[in-house]
This record gives sequence, structure tokens and C-alpha cells, in this order.
Amino acid sequence: MTVTPQQAETAPSPGAEGETVRGLRLRGVSHVYRGGVRDVVSLDPLDLDVVAGEFLVIVGPSGCGKSTLLEILAGLIRPTSGDVFIDDRRVVGPSRDRAVVFQQSTSLYPWLTVRRNVELGLRVRNLPRSERRSRADAELARVGLSEFADQWPHELSGGMQQRCQIARALAVDPPILLLDEPFGALDALTRENLQHSLREIWRETRRTVVMVTHSVEEAVLLGTRVLVMSHRPGRVVDDLRFGFVTLNSTVAEIRSRPDFVETCRTLRSQLLGL
Amino acid sequence: MSKSVATDGLDLPWARRLAGHSDPSRRFRGVGPIVAIALVGGIWSLVAYLQIWSEIILPTPDRVWSALVESVTSEGGRRGLSGHYLWEHVGASLWRIIRGVFWAAAFGAPLGLGLGLFRTFQAVAEPIVGFLRSLPPLGYFSLLIIWFGIDDTSKVWLLFIAAFPPIAIGVAAGVASIQPERVKAALTLGATRRDLVRHTILPSTLPDLLTGLRVAIGFAWTTIVAAETSNGIPGIGGLAWATKKELRSDVAILCVIVIGVVAVLMDLVIRLIERRLLPWRRRS
Repeated sequence: MTVTPQQAETAPSPGAEGETVRGLRLRGVSHVYRGGVRDVVSLDPLDLDVVAGEFLVIVGPSGCGKSTLLEILAGLIRPTSGDVFIDDRRVVGPSRDRAVVFQQSTSLYPWLTVRRNVELGLRVRNLPRSERRSRADAELARVGLSEFADQWPHELSGGMQQRCQIARALAVDPPILLLDEPFGALDALTRENLQHSLREIWRETRRTVVMVTHSVEEAVLLGTRVLVMSHRPGRVVDDLRFGFVTLNSTVAEIRSRPDFVETCRTLRSQLLGL
Repeated sequence: MSKSVATDGLDLPWARRLAGHSDPSRRFRGVGPIVAIALVGGIWSLVAYLQIWSEIILPTPDRVWSALVESVTSEGGRRGLSGHYLWEHVGASLWRIIRGVFWAAAFGAPLGLGLGLFRTFQAVAEPIVGFLRSLPPLGYFSLLIIWFGIDDTSKVWLLFIAAFPPIAIGVAAGVASIQPERVKAALTLGATRRDLVRHTILPSTLPDLLTGLRVAIGFAWTTIVAAETSNGIPGIGGLAWATKKELRSDVAILCVIVIGVVAVLMDLVIRLIERRLLPWRRRS
């Protein structure tokens, strides 16, 4: 089915239940920050195709525009030029077909309990209370927060807050899940824990995921595909495929594999050389 | 000769506290207000019973106590003070406050939302609100009396104009300080404009609304007591003002105490409401 751009804009994301998405297309997407003194090019024109079911990780030094790119995908920032398409629909704004997990847990609502936070996306869809609750509880169970459903977000640890954010995003059953340095503010051990959980979630649901990180290990561990970006202006300098995430081993086992260690070393030196 | 260990470092309780360490001495916590009342009461009694000044300048505590008794009883067809019981005076003042602050909140909160959400509206409306806020309310009271008469209407208007700027400005500041991630989260979960206001902006600004309300009530209370100097009986400010004619310094002191106690109680009520409406703020 072909949809004219006009129709697509007037009907942003029907967000139908179980909606399947074939992929994400970027055509000539660039971004320029209009500064007071001079403009800063944060993202050079970029063409990209993300296939459904892919776990795409964007890795790069700080200031490479990777978070800007993610917010463009989310529809929170408009690209200075170019367009983002989901299948044939042009992205004109944020929508629940691209739920986002943010780095800052300030995105959780402090006046809502953990369960009610997870229900947020379902409340704005006016789902009946019982259905909201059962779906929220299912997602809370998936991320291991069932016991904490009635707590306030500030009573949770940093790692649990990020789990809550993941549950909230998954509760709306988004065809595409976006993560913006979701574990960047966590300590090393908690981070490994959450990487494991995210890996399990992806393996279970095979959802399309786009994640931004500055951790090389995280990128190699989780991505089926890794985009390496250069320092400002952001440019994709490499596009790599990995299969570590699909291996039937534990995260700890993968981390100690020689080929994993070697891959990380190569990628790290490539990033340092940029 | 043995050399002593270094002891020339500063060791002051207040310096330790300012340096971010908890002060171990909690001796005066909680008893502070009691000590303060005892201290002021003691000095007052001492000076009054020594009769340094006449009873008209400084009445004794038991004279003020008699005034309190007089204010809540009737004797030979005389009801309380200035024809009304004490609770009628306080009640009349509070009723004016409630009406004035109610309209101030009903008008100020949406105004604050508008100021916080719309730049063009803010550019025009903020100077007006700021100007009104900077005026001492009694400065425009005469005008309100000319417009609305000498009865309660002009007083409620006075309170309304005095009370809405802090509410509007508080809510506007609350809107401006909403965490951007909260808004981003709502947008990416598919919120409509109505959802955004209802689920994100209103709950985010509720604490600021309550703070604004508290400031407004405090300001309104000081204003109404002053405003009741004209045709303010019944009213606690009117009662206080009337005492000067008969040199009832005992009633004047009684009024001061009642005005102060009511102010403290109103603040307490708002704090209780805050605790009730913002349960997530209670740290465990």
C-alpha cells in the first residue's frame, strides 16, 4: 500500500494494536544547531535503513550528534533537512510507535507510583483500568519490578528506575524502542545487570531497537548492528554487524570470549583514532 | 617537653553544620517555641507587674486574659467586644480571606499556566502582573471603595488583587521548571495536548500552586487586617483598630495575639493539605 505524504501527515501513527513495522528509513537527515554566534553542524546528512527486528546501536564520542539523531528518530527534534520514514509514513512528530527510554530517570513522574508510571502510556490511550493494570503488571514482571509496583519512583535505586522506564516504554507495545544512553548514569555492576535484562527482552520480543551509547562493550554485546559515528559534525564512519547478542551464552561468558574482547579492542581503537 | 598533638583546628557547631555535616546537638529541637513563649511572657509579666508604665500603656497578662473572657461572653445585653463575639470577628475576617483567595486561585492558576506556556502572552501579561504585585494593596484600596462601596465587596476585591499575583507567578515558574524529560516521555507515549496538560503539566505544577497559595494567604491576611480599618466590624482588624478610641490596650494585645495565632494556624492547614496532596514528597 502506498500512502501519499499528505495523508501520512494528517494521520500520524494510528498505533494500532500489534501493528507491524517493516523498518525505519532516513533520507538526507541532517541537523544544525542555530547558535547565537555561529551555527553548529551536529549531524551531517545521513541515509540509513533500519530493518524490523534489528538491534541497532549507535556508538560515538560525546558531541557526535548521536543523541540528536535519536531525538530526531523519536520525532522530538525536527531535522534541519531530510526526512525520517516509518515504512511509508513520514515522521512529523513524536508518537507511541517509537517509545523512548531516557538517560535521566527524571522522566518518571514522581507523583505516580511505579505501576501508575508504567500505565502512563496506556492512560493517554484511555484503556480501561483493568487492562491498564494487567499490562503494566506484565511489563513490571518482565523487568523484575513486581514487588515495587506500589512504591514511589524516588524510593527505587537508579537501576530500578531505568527498569521502570523500560517497562513504561514496553507497555505501549511500540514497534520501535529507542534508548538514549539508558545506562549511562549507572554504576558498572548495575549496568551489566541491565544490559543482561535488555538483552533478554530483545531476544524474547525481537523488537526493533535503536540505542545510543558511548560504551563500546555495550554496543558489541547488544547490537546486531553497530553504527560508529565521528566527532562533530556527526558522520557515520562505519556500519558493522555483530552476532554476540544472539549467542546462547550468558553475558558473562560472552564478555570473556576472545573474539568479543578482540572486537571491542578493535572498535575502541577505531573510535580513539577519530 | 612533650609536644602536644595539633589542636588548632576550628571546631564550631555552626561551621560543621554549614560544611554539610549534621549537628549532633538536638537539645533545643521542638522546645524552641515553648521557650520563646515563656521568655516573652516572662519579660512582659515582669515589666507589667512592676508597674513601670501605667496599665494603659502596658496591661498585665491577666488584664488581657479578662479581655479574652469578655470577648467570648455576654453581659447585660452586651455581646463580646464591639458588639460581636471574638469568633465572629475572626470568622468575618476569615470569610473575606476565603472569598478573596478563592477568586485569586481561580483566576491566578490559569493565568500562571498561560504565562508559563505562551511566550507572547507572557510578554504582555507579565509586566501587568508584576506591577500589581509590587503595589502595596492599601495604595489602591480607596479606588476599590469608590468603585465597589464600603462593604465587603471592596475588601474581597482588595484581597483578590493582592493574592492572585503570587499564585500566578508561582504557577508560571512551576511550568517553566518542569523537567524536559517528563514532557518528552509524555509526547513519545502518544499524549495529546489535553493529556499533556492533564497528566504532565498540572500535576507538575501542583506543588508550586500550593506554595503560591501559601504566600498569597499570608499576604492576604496582613492586607485584610489593615483593610478592616474602614468599616471592618465585625473583623479582627476592625476590632484591633477600634481599641484606640477607648484606649483598650488589653484588647489591642489580645487582637495581636489572635491575629498571629490565626496566621500560624492557616499556614499549618496549608502544610497539612500539601502533605495530603503531595504524598510522594514524604521521604521515608
